Amino acid sequence: MSGGHLDDGAFAEIWTAAIESRQAAAHPHLAECPQCRSRYAAFVGWLDRIHDDARDEADEAFPPERLAAQQALVLRRLEALERPARVIAFPKFSRPATSTQGHAQRWVAGAAAAGLVIGLAAGQFVDIRDAFAARRRPPSQTAVQTARVNPVTAPVVVSPADTSTVSDEQIFFGDAVQGVRLSSLDDITPRARDDERP
Amino acid sequence: MTGAQAAGLPTREADSAAASAVKALQAEGRHAEARERYTELVTRHQRRAARIAFHYLRDSAEADEAVQDALVKAYSHLSSFREELPFEIWFTRILINGCLDRIKARKRRERWLVPMPESPSGQRDFAERIAGPGLSPEDHVLGRERRQKLAAALARLPERQRSVFMLSHYQGCTSREVSVVTGLNESTVRVHLFRAIRRLRTLLADDASGVDAGRMKRRVNS
Repeated sequence: MSGGHLDDGAFAEIWTAAIESRQAAAHPHLAECPQCRSRYAAFVGWLDRIHDDARDEADEAFPPERLAAQQALVLRRLEALERPARVIAFPKFSRPATSTQGHAQRWVAGAAAAGLVIGLAAGQFVDIRDAFAARRRPPSQTAVQTARVNPVTAPVVVSPADTSTVSDEQIFFGDAVQGVRLSSLDDITPRARDDERP
Repeated sequence: MTGAQAAGLPTREADSAAASAVKALQAEGRHAEARERYTELVTRHQRRAARIAFHYLRDSAEADEAVQDALVKAYSHLSSFREELPFEIWFTRILINGCLDRIKARKRRERWLVPMPESPSGQRDFAERIAGPGLSPEDHVLGRERRQKLAAALARLPERQRSVFMLSHYQGCTSREVSVVTGLNESTVRVHLFRAIRRLRTLLADDASGVDAGRMKRRVNS
């Protein structure tokens, strides 16, 4: 109440009560004061306009065609709810992959990976070639062989003093001395044609 | 008298009968018939649901999706529907919860995304609108301005006040119905409604006086 007249708060209260009771607004002051009655009518008109505007706006966004399309979509979704889910095979594979196949494949892949890892780890600690060679040779023969000078594996020694005197031309074009020195290296180098011989 | 009040009890009875029938058909495994019967409920509540979702979300595409989701959810959870509650109220609750979830998700998204320039989403192009029959272009412009102001004022209301106002005034729900939908006390609903109206009145009056003052200023300057 302000100055004996009803304010917006009071109007809101009266209007809410009227909506609840689903009856016309009843307030003693409204019945007595024509000014407040007209202001209340304007207030209710304002609320009605808000209601109509809101409804029109929503209806404009949802014309009947859109509602029909929406209904069709809803029904399609309801239909889809009842169908069991289906796994579609990738086009490359003619038959769909089953779960057991996948299980076996996973085991095979796991075993292969484990084998590879074990092999690599063992390779780090054990030199398999040496182990095999030692097993093949009898211990006495091994001792004799190490004592004997092997012509094939004998190292070729080139003195550093000699190499320092070799000129660039000699390296490129070669000479008789160099040829003699390198011939021993040449002898021990295997050639492809040697293997081809029966 | 608006919305649900005007719709009256016969609709509610028909809703309850349809919902019970769909529930029974679902239980018997007669899904095609259940769907067919459910269409009746969809047709009856679709328009109202679209309005509610649109007022909550202010985006027609999102409102469309929210309504679809709510209708599908209601169908698939119909076994948990209790006949003592009107179907309309039960369904509205599902719809509003969905809308609130979407609003939350949108807020989370907006925290990470650069805001797009404002567009009248869900509204047809201006030229298209004024070309239609009915109101004059000027009326369209004025109406649109008024709606935008109202939407802005509604957006400034606290969430509960907004929900209560929209359900009571736009959808014509009683305090009891609103209390069932929102989970608030009946007297709290009435207080929220009263406060929402008073605040809206103030906000829209401020806007109107601001516009009037602006017009006056322009007139004086010219």
